[in-house]
Amino acid sequence: MTTATRQGSGDHVSGMGETGELPRLLPPAGPGGQAPDLTAHLARHGRLPYRERPGVLIGDIEQAGLTGRGGAAFPVHRKLAAVLEAAGRRGKTPTVIANGAESEPASDKDAMLLWLAPHLVLDGLQLAAEAVGADSAILYTHADREHDLGLRLRQALLERQVAGADRVPVQLALAPPRFLAGQETALVSHLAGGPAIPAFTPPRITERGMAGAPTLVQNVETLAHLALIARRGPGWFRAVGTGPEPGSMLATIRRPDGRPRITEVPLGMPLRDLLGDLAPESAVLLGGYHGTWLPAARAAGLSLDNRSLAPAGARVGAGVVISLPADRCGLVETANVVRYLAFESAGQCGPCLNGLPRIAAAFAELARGRSGPRTRADLERWAGLVTGRGACHHPDGTARFVRSALVTFAAEADRHERGRCSATSARPFLPIPAGSARTEKDWM
Amino acid sequence: MWYASRATGVVALLLLTAVMILGLLVTRQGRLPGLPRFAVSGLHRNLSLLAAVFVVIHVLTAVFDGYVDIPITASVIPFTSPYERFWLGLGAVSLDLMLAAIVTSLLRRHLSRRAWRAVHLLAYLSWPVAWVHSMFSSGDLQHGVLLILAIGCAAAVVGGAAWRLIAAARDVPRAERVSVQMSAVHQQPEETTSR
Repeated sequence: MTTATRQGSGDHVSGMGETGELPRLLPPAGPGGQAPDLTAHLARHGRLPYRERPGVLIGDIEQAGLTGRGGAAFPVHRKLAAVLEAAGRRGKTPTVIANGAESEPASDKDAMLLWLAPHLVLDGLQLAAEAVGADSAILYTHADREHDLGLRLRQALLERQVAGADRVPVQLALAPPRFLAGQETALVSHLAGGPAIPAFTPPRITERGMAGAPTLVQNVETLAHLALIARRGPGWFRAVGTGPEPGSMLATIRRPDGRPRITEVPLGMPLRDLLGDLAPESAVLLGGYHGTWLPAARAAGLSLDNRSLAPAGARVGAGVVISLPADRCGLVETANVVRYLAFESAGQCGPCLNGLPRIAAAFAELARGRSGPRTRADLERWAGLVTGRGACHHPDGTARFVRSALVTFAAEADRHERGRCSATSARPFLPIPAGSARTEKDWM
Repeated sequence: MWYASRATGVVALLLLTAVMILGLLVTRQGRLPGLPRFAVSGLHRNLSLLAAVFVVIHVLTAVFDGYVDIPITASVIPFTSPYERFWLGLGAVSLDLMLAAIVTSLLRRHLSRRAWRAVHLLAYLSWPVAWVHSMFSSGDLQHGVLLILAIGCAAAVVGGAAWRLIAAARDVPRAERVSVQMSAVHQQPEETTSR
């Protein structure tokens, strides 16, 4: 299996029978599933359809209805237009950044995409650069995957240089292993030589980012979709997905042994079909560690699009869909993650710095069955107090995750308060990266 | 009206001193007994607006009183008053700096943090200038109870600023703050690198 050579080792599932057209982004699973070189890539997708003028592609992207696949689902054409407009108004040449610093430990789809289809991402980077009139581009990805992914990306960039495929020079930059490293202001701070910590906005980076110039940051999967829309048109893109949320996306599912499974699915796919043999037994985590726990029964009736998930208080995010195995305790899993998230606070904003450690400590007591009568009420109150009070959304996302756990695992919390736990396995399930930041160097 | 002007001037100085000290507290996330942290910043904001009202009354009463001739323009354009040109000029400088701080704070949502902070730091200039203006524009503060009051104000602000500098020097570096908090809330500090 291809991915066995990559660190995390998981599978990628291609070809969803009933939607013949998928996968679009990932190469069809072939023997070994090697990443295609530039020649094979161009043979499959065709040449780069440069538009020869800034702005031209933006109309196509608007018609396609492409939204950011990094988790926020912001309309891509609006960001492109904002950068182009700011560049014209302020007379500064923009920079474009492909964001492959997948901050979610539970997600593996960006790394998989960069591993299997680096040229599609790099095509998108070039086309986005042309669309906003940029003269430089950066591919930003995690340093801890450097020993294999970094090499592969350097090879891909070299191939393109030799073939003269790129019009804008692309630099490879590596992110520190921090949860917030992919947050776009943190990314700009890091690329400017500082620590990867979020900045206060305004100014927005579409206005003032790298070196004070308008800066476009797009998730790598978003750029891959953009490269295909540029070639095949908005109508083709809309052939899958739902009306308001068209297209396909990469989803990360985790098997009971913890290994990731990456699959490309149309938006609006029923979660039941998406999980298949991993049918939810107790609860499902949607959207990752800033996401939402839902009871299995609730999740079974939902589909992978924001219109379906919103009433349940959940979001598609970056496509993380994890079914909690029946033998694990949701409270213990949540406590592990919250502890990790608290350690990943940048330590800048009071509510996050003071609140998250306290929330983590209280949740740990709940998970260990040592909570007091007021612990749950305290958690609920503190989650409310930190929400909306940071430079970035780290406290908000953590609070959402904690609150959804309190609701979804309410019965389990009752059991814990009586000193019992329904789990039969103590092995941690959700992936937690090793090591936390101790000094400024860990953020560089 | 002349007496009203002098009285509001003294009250404004007291209020501005309180605003300064609260501002110093806010920057270091200090607390006042019985008040949560956010209340300190709320008090800082409300008192500064109240002080601004007193300053405005202080200026207008001085201008419209016929006792001495101070043109209204001299209240904002420094060193243009025929009466006590230099000392009133300082008052105008202080008022301008104060207005800059207030306007940028009211528009803070639309400004970058850096721009807002740069302007807000001018308060450190505004207060001493206002104090010198208070001391030397008229002889009121130069003797008796008011002299003690003026010196008390100066001592309070100097002391507050010194405390702020010491507190800043003792600051935990940003990257280490989270670990410090985490070990503080977990009763028995846990191993963090073992995972």
